[in-house]
Amino acid sequence: MILYDYILSPSCYKVRLLASLLGAPLDLRPVDFHPGREHKAAELLALNPAGSIPILVDGDLVLTESAAILAYLAAQKGGYWLAGDAPAAIARHQQWLDFSHRLTQALGGARLVEMLHFEGDLAALQTRGVAALRELEAALFVQRLGGQSYLIRDTPSIADIACFPYVALAPDGSIPLDPYPSIRIWMRAIRALPGFIEMPGIHRRHDLAPDPFAEVPS
Amino acid sequence: MAAETNARWLPVAVSADILSGTVIPASLPTGPLAVWRSASGRLNATKDRCPHRGMRLSHGFVRGETLSCIYHGWRFGADGACRKIPAHPALVPPRTISCGPLPVAECNGTVWAAAKRPDHEPVAYDGYMALRSVVIAASCAAVETACQGARAHGASKTRLGGHDTLLVMNGYAPNAVLVIVLVAETMPVAGRLAISTALEALRRTVETWGRAA
Amino acid sequence: MTSHAMRDAWYPVGLLSGLSEGGKDSLLLGENITVFGSATGAPSVECSGRTLPVVRRFGHLWTSLGTPDKDLFTIPEADHPERVRVDVGVVRVKCSPLRAVENFLDIAHFPFVHTDILGAESHPEVSEYKVEIRDEVDEVWATKVEFFQPQAARSAGGGITTEYMYRVPAPTCAVLYKTCPPRPGAWDVIALFVQPLTEDLCDVWPWMALFDDESALTDLIHFQQLIFLQDRSILENQIPKRLPLDPAKETPTRADLTSVAYRRWLKRHNFTYGAQLVAG
Repeated sequence: MILYDYILSPSCYKVRLLASLLGAPLDLRPVDFHPGREHKAAELLALNPAGSIPILVDGDLVLTESAAILAYLAAQKGGYWLAGDAPAAIARHQQWLDFSHRLTQALGGARLVEMLHFEGDLAALQTRGVAALRELEAALFVQRLGGQSYLIRDTPSIADIACFPYVALAPDGSIPLDPYPSIRIWMRAIRALPGFIEMPGIHRRHDLAPDPFAEVPS
Repeated sequence: MAAETNARWLPVAVSADILSGTVIPASLPTGPLAVWRSASGRLNATKDRCPHRGMRLSHGFVRGETLSCIYHGWRFGADGACRKIPAHPALVPPRTISCGPLPVAECNGTVWAAAKRPDHEPVAYDGYMALRSVVIAASCAAVETACQGARAHGASKTRLGGHDTLLVMNGYAPNAVLVIVLVAETMPVAGRLAISTALEALRRTVETWGRAA
Repeated sequence: MTSHAMRDAWYPVGLLSGLSEGGKDSLLLGENITVFGSATGAPSVECSGRTLPVVRRFGHLWTSLGTPDKDLFTIPEADHPERVRVDVGVVRVKCSPLRAVENFLDIAHFPFVHTDILGAESHPEVSEYKVEIRDEVDEVWATKVEFFQPQAARSAGGGITTEYMYRVPAPTCAVLYKTCPPRPGAWDVIALFVQPLTEDLCDVWPWMALFDDESALTDLIHFQQLIFLQDRSILENQIPKRLPLDPAKETPTRADLTSVAYRRWLKRHNFTYGAQLVAG
């Protein structure tokens, strides 16, 4: 499987992260998104006329939407990361995958304006971003009341992976995460999953690594 | 006058939102703070600024009984004193290096902090427990007007979702107030859900006024 | 209107490969500027109807609001024909331009911010190195800087002790010379060119001139973007936003001698745009 990848793209990171959590190997093909705009050049447009990344190529199969790529990877590994059979769970799972597009547009849009000189109405993007974060915070609070750590149950699904990167990187678009305790606890759980990998702006949890100065007195 | 204002407990977080071995960002009107709970469960608060290069300590991490800065790994103990500078592993840090600890206390499932130590403990509300915090983009006065509650020992008594609740507030910026809702300890889950939903409705009301004004 | 010594310095305002003939609005030291590309190879910069001086160097267009009393610095090592010269692009950072440079001069953060790439938590020690302000060229230099690095460069196979030299030739520019894994004895050149937009906002243009026959250009760009974006989340969270020049405001150690010399040099020249002079 070849992933057309950009190191700073949260959507590409979703795919790399899930692949790492699943232990699924990927061949990475770096795309010069910035400053080269290679995703808008002929070779990649032939693969994906939308001019976006990630693109996953597996034999004859070409996938260009990150949620579809996540579903494809998860399905190959037995479906533990998918919704299961219950109608309500299938629907809630799909709802969060759809919700993740709002995060991409609002939080991701603000990030591109603030970080990489893209055009956009920053204030409007931030307002929509805050609204989406408040929805997510409320939903995760409800999950906690029911003793569940993740979006649809007590174990993670690809819905969590689809939402996590743009939320974690909201501060890149000048949208603080300070007001959202349930989001903080949820992100902390994701960052502790075996096989978790980081991307720039999302630090690993140093507290999980062995302490090189274990004898430090308190 | 300023000193009097600073020696005042303000709610900064829900206790349950600060797990053991974690640090979170919080705010007082005097500035940002980092609130952290050690591995053994001890709660601490400090200015949110590493004395070395000014990095926010709330971005750091907790190992055992120390808080580490994410930038250069400087470690601080519960008393605020610097315990370790990793770039100089053999050095015993001078006792003068401190991250500036702040008074902190817990009651009713709420974390209270102050810029200067008040001469009393935070008010305890018998039988109540913190449910959830939200930040409202408004002033304390606007929130109090909206909930039409009677004031009682620093809390607003408010009906939310058909239940009696207490709201405690921290207007840490001119247009930002942290509101923590306290509910009866015995409140069943259905009531908690209703109160949480009503709290969000209250926020929408107050913020809509602000936009209309 | 700003009236400080930094007006007379040169600043990067765009990649030569990315200029637009129609002009692109930007900021320099808080003033509105427009950067124009040119089909005939003569790009220009305007500020309130005034045409500013320009220099084309290191793949970037440079300008100045004032009257530079010397030419833009050079990096003679970068001209070697076998080097790959890499335009890394631009990243906007909500921080003081001086804090961005100071972070670039710092190695002690590698184990915590660039974990398992430029540093490892098991090897955090910064050994003694040499720092001087070279009066004859009026530049800050740090030499004999050594640090253990798990993956020092895109071309590095495994952990090595890397040697660094740092050079500050202009108030918002720094050049790093580091051990070049495929070519012992030579130095890779990695530069950080910072365009001060305001006192707490900057555009950072990293640039490199490397000996690397193996890696694809995109890999080299991504490696440097990865490193710099790891720094960005630090830079946007330092308090205060402006770089304190009051020695009592922050707590340096021996590992910070380059930063101490940089701050002293800034103060000596009154390069204080983006600095905090009084503790607050």
